[in-house]
Amino acid sequence: MQGSKPRNNVSSPLLAFSWRDLAVTAGILLCAAGLCILLQTADTSDGFASPIFVLAVLLVSRFTTGYLFGLVAAVVGVVAINYIFTFPYWAINFTLSGYPLTFLTLLMVSVITSALTTKAKRQDRLLRENEKEKMRSDLLRSVSHDIRTPLTSIVGITSALLDGPSLSQQEQRELLEDARSEAQWLIRVVENLLSITRIGNDPAHISKEPEAAEEVLGETVRKFRKRFPQVQVKVEAPETLLFVPMDVILIEQVLSNLLENAVFHGKTTTQILLSVRQDGEKARFSVIDDGQGIEPALLPVLFDGAWRSQEAEHRGDGRRNMGLGLSVCQAIVKAHGGTMEATNLADGAEFSFCLPLS
Amino acid sequence: MNIREKILVVEDEKTISHFISTVLTSNGYEAMQARTGAEAQSMISSHCPDLIILDLGLPDMDGIELLRNLRTWSSLPVVVVSARSHERDKVEALDLGADDYLTKPFGTDELLARVRAAIRHTRTTSGNDEIAQKGTYTVGELTVDFNKHQALVRGENVKLTLSEFRIVALLAKYAGKVLTYDFIIKELWGPRASGDNQILRVNMANIRRKIEKNPAEPEYLFTEVGVGYRMAEGD
Repeated sequence: MQGSKPRNNVSSPLLAFSWRDLAVTAGILLCAAGLCILLQTADTSDGFASPIFVLAVLLVSRFTTGYLFGLVAAVVGVVAINYIFTFPYWAINFTLSGYPLTFLTLLMVSVITSALTTKAKRQDRLLRENEKEKMRSDLLRSVSHDIRTPLTSIVGITSALLDGPSLSQQEQRELLEDARSEAQWLIRVVENLLSITRIGNDPAHISKEPEAAEEVLGETVRKFRKRFPQVQVKVEAPETLLFVPMDVILIEQVLSNLLENAVFHGKTTTQILLSVRQDGEKARFSVIDDGQGIEPALLPVLFDGAWRSQEAEHRGDGRRNMGLGLSVCQAIVKAHGGTMEATNLADGAEFSFCLPLS
Repeated sequence: MNIREKILVVEDEKTISHFISTVLTSNGYEAMQARTGAEAQSMISSHCPDLIILDLGLPDMDGIELLRNLRTWSSLPVVVVSARSHERDKVEALDLGADDYLTKPFGTDELLARVRAAIRHTRTTSGNDEIAQKGTYTVGELTVDFNKHQALVRGENVKLTLSEFRIVALLAKYAGKVLTYDFIIKELWGPRASGDNQILRVNMANIRRKIEKNPAEPEYLFTEVGVGYRMAEGD
């Protein structure tokens, strides 16, 4: 309730003060004055002072925020022209011909330029905000789709079990297993969303610590096996212990996304090889499956997630696409300063990513 | 088992509390539920439970605070429950004296395994009947011989160094329970040892190369990512 009250005490950005802008203003005006002094030694006519200060005021208005410094520059400019750079030197002379015109010109230049600059900046910001907003709503739309489908089945299944005519034990069991796998799918979606929030707006902010690569692989696979006991996973790690700087929770998310994708999207996957090895200054993690491979048309856009919403709408099947998981993988690896790639093999697909070792 | 162990479930989400209690009851425990920290504290002193399952996110107080309070006067076993992304809370809780942890979402197998291990470790001081009686601990093909300071795989001595054996022995003594890096380091190298866990990890890598078939797929010495290590439970 309290938050909805409009705040009146926000200082107007149009007359905002900042030390950076002050420095810019002082710098430009000093340059202009310097130039005038320089020209004065070569040329005794006073004609150059006004145009130089018009330019200076224009530059100040352009490169500072709001109106304040442009106006200050205009006033300083007028005084400087009158007092220093026109005859009589070092004296104020209000009767100077054309003086009011100079003053007016400088003020107009300042106000108009500041107005244009302010407007342009505002539009830039609006554009960026719109883009962000669009990304956010795209993500929300696709996530809602991902969530609604399994929720619908869970509600359907539980209602069937509660209200339905007597089902055989076998049927009940099958329905419950479906409900459980739908719920696990939901957990996967939520964990991915949490990973996004963990990276936050500032990828440089993730906390990396050296982790033993073989331990991360071992743990991920142990959890994976509990959920997919029918899939064979082979794990390979180098003989010498390899420490890789990472946010271990996030990298575990990447690995388990890749393993689960190998099952969900490889469709016929029965074997997975998960490996890590040192590759120069990098650690290379790889997931190879013996499934049906990646649709060639998707390969170039696989990680950006842009295709996924259309895809989902076309097929009405959010479950079969791997957009969210892969874009999260990509975001996590990028935040670690690493790279990620996908290739089709003769028999299956390989997803790999590299993390820098230092 | 004539007297059923009493377990207090401290969890504010009604459905989760209900599901945990149902699983516990159907597995021969007596379950009680508390929704808030205050309620939990009064139930602890009036009902004297044998184990507490404690959610760290409570409406009225931090679960960590409750644990800290409890540990000033009681050593009754506590299994904390927390979300995946809060691994620091887990480590803090374990270092404050929690006996184990469960990460949401968890399955019934995991829940029961943690409860069993935590209750067993309070019953016998050495944490394990086999160790108390025979001076050995066996899981699968691995035997840890406490008297001879040896670890045997399929009956063969795998020749661990002294530090390596002490790590294995420590984990075996608390088999089934997670031990934090800090705890292991302090037990091995004293309270003033550096908090850096790299040396421990290198030791662990060497141990696994001697004991496990594939060090990247351990059968006996599990990693709890970001927390510590856990020895597989014997049969």
